Amino acid sequence: MDEPIWLKFIVAFVIMNVLLVGMAYMTYFERKVLAAFQDRMGPTRTGPKGLLQPLADGAKLLGKEDLIPGSADKWVFFFAPLVVFVTAITSVAVIPFGTSFDVAGQTINMTIADLNIGALFVLAISSVGVYGIILGAWASSNRYSLLGGLRAAAQVVSYEIILGLSLVGIFILTGSLNLGDIVAEQSRTLSIGPFEISNWFILSQPLAFVLFLIAAVAETNRAPFDLPEAETELVSGFHTEYSAFRFSFYFLGEYIAMIVMSLFASTLFLGGTDGPGSDSHVLLGILWLLLKTILFLFFYVWLRATLPRFRYDQLMGIAWKVLLPLVLLNIVVTAAVRLAVNS
Amino acid sequence: MPWDLIIFYMLAAVCIAAALGVVVATNPVHSAIFLVLCFFNVAGVFVMMGAEFLAVIQVIVYTGAILVLLLFVLMLVNPDDLPEFHQGKPVQRVVGGLLGLILLLEIAIAILNREVVGVTGTATPEAIAAVGGNTQAIGRLLFSDYLLAFEVVSLVLTVGVIGAIVLALPERLGEKVVQRKGTISLGHARGVDMEALGEGTPEGEAPILSGRGGFAKASGGRKLVMTNDPDEYTGA
Repeated sequence: MDEPIWLKFIVAFVIMNVLLVGMAYMTYFERKVLAAFQDRMGPTRTGPKGLLQPLADGAKLLGKEDLIPGSADKWVFFFAPLVVFVTAITSVAVIPFGTSFDVAGQTINMTIADLNIGALFVLAISSVGVYGIILGAWASSNRYSLLGGLRAAAQVVSYEIILGLSLVGIFILTGSLNLGDIVAEQSRTLSIGPFEISNWFILSQPLAFVLFLIAAVAETNRAPFDLPEAETELVSGFHTEYSAFRFSFYFLGEYIAMIVMSLFASTLFLGGTDGPGSDSHVLLGILWLLLKTILFLFFYVWLRATLPRFRYDQLMGIAWKVLLPLVLLNIVVTAAVRLAVNS
Repeated sequence: MPWDLIIFYMLAAVCIAAALGVVVATNPVHSAIFLVLCFFNVAGVFVMMGAEFLAVIQVIVYTGAILVLLLFVLMLVNPDDLPEFHQGKPVQRVVGGLLGLILLLEIAIAILNREVVGVTGTATPEAIAAVGGNTQAIGRLLFSDYLLAFEVVSLVLTVGVIGAIVLALPERLGEKVVQRKGTISLGHARGVDMEALGEGTPEGEAPILSGRGGFAKASGGRKLVMTNDPDEYTGA
């Protein structure tokens, strides 16, 4: 072990808190961007430019009455929101925020858990997150919730396949499932003739990138794939019966899952911490990673502001009849090219 | 190595407790939740043995997909409709207990009579490190020594998928799906000029209500016909 375990805990603690604050300001960012799309002002009253709005929201949620329906399954109702929250926040552990650097004689590794199967870890944890939705929906003993939960189950199981398979091309090109290795591979500079371009996988895997984006939006239950909480049909879907801080755990989980998905997408396709000056300055690398992440978060909000919700049969049709053949085609083509280059 | 041991026993204890919960819980959804917990801890044991790939696959395939579908079905079942949950016939309880006891004995005998042979296999830590990690080692094994088994399993799974699709199809394969859209028309063939409509109701048909509350002017002596397409009826 190259670093003591207490140092890892400190890094994990810092990253987790940054993530929580980031989540709070993600709601602010979303409201402001949505407001701009709809020619409104968004939150302006709380603090300068409404910057204290997330804190006010949090305080409000804490002060609300915590209701449990009489016919609810109390234990399951209690822990289901925690499953969503914990799984969302756990998957950030494998995201590389840069390589290691030395502070006061200690080497600090900027990846909390440098697993050799990091990419699969994110997929596995996000597939467990759906239990929070299904079980919460079931425990509420509410038909609308149950319908939302069933939709969530079918949707996540279908789009998980697309999400996983869209990464196979990257694994073939890198030869590793380690996110650090994937970033290192993308930091290389390719020289084609007089041009020097970076080896970001968005350039060599454009089809996989588009498929990954679609599947990532569906996996995080965001518009236009937010059928589990379709307000127009299901009141608010799986969290209809949740109130106060239990509800906010679902909310936290959803937004943190979005942030982690954006970090994951930046790491896989946009070179992660790679960027001008990131080799010499670790903090510059983190800045690049955050900028790319904000790009993806903006994309999420943009989609929500622009596209209407899909019909349920369309949702399933897209996954199995359009995206799955395309993602398999991408794997076959990538493998063939790799084979041709190697031999 | 004491930390490894403590973590292993924690995982094992939770795993066994969860496995007991699967059997003891009276609500089938609770059983499924315990099964999720059990699988998750088995994945943890895999990680402790250095088999991260296997652990993640365990979580993705079993916990993340198969059990979700299991829950999917369980949630739709009304617990009151389940037949005699935990109250089977006396014969079933005795035979079940007996079978469980036999299994326990078998496992105990196997553990007590095991012989640790002092030969390590080919999958030594050095050999795994040489190919670049256990993911690569599993991949190499699957696509070399176990290629035939791997392909057979793929084939069986493909057959399973095709079988599920065939079962789910409403019509039998090969038959043309009949489109059940039709139109009611007063029977006269296309291109035939009809005389002015007479009085009375068509043979054997109820009078047709028109939009204004009265009866439509019925076609004297002509049949009402149901066709798939207004142009299809030839007057025969």
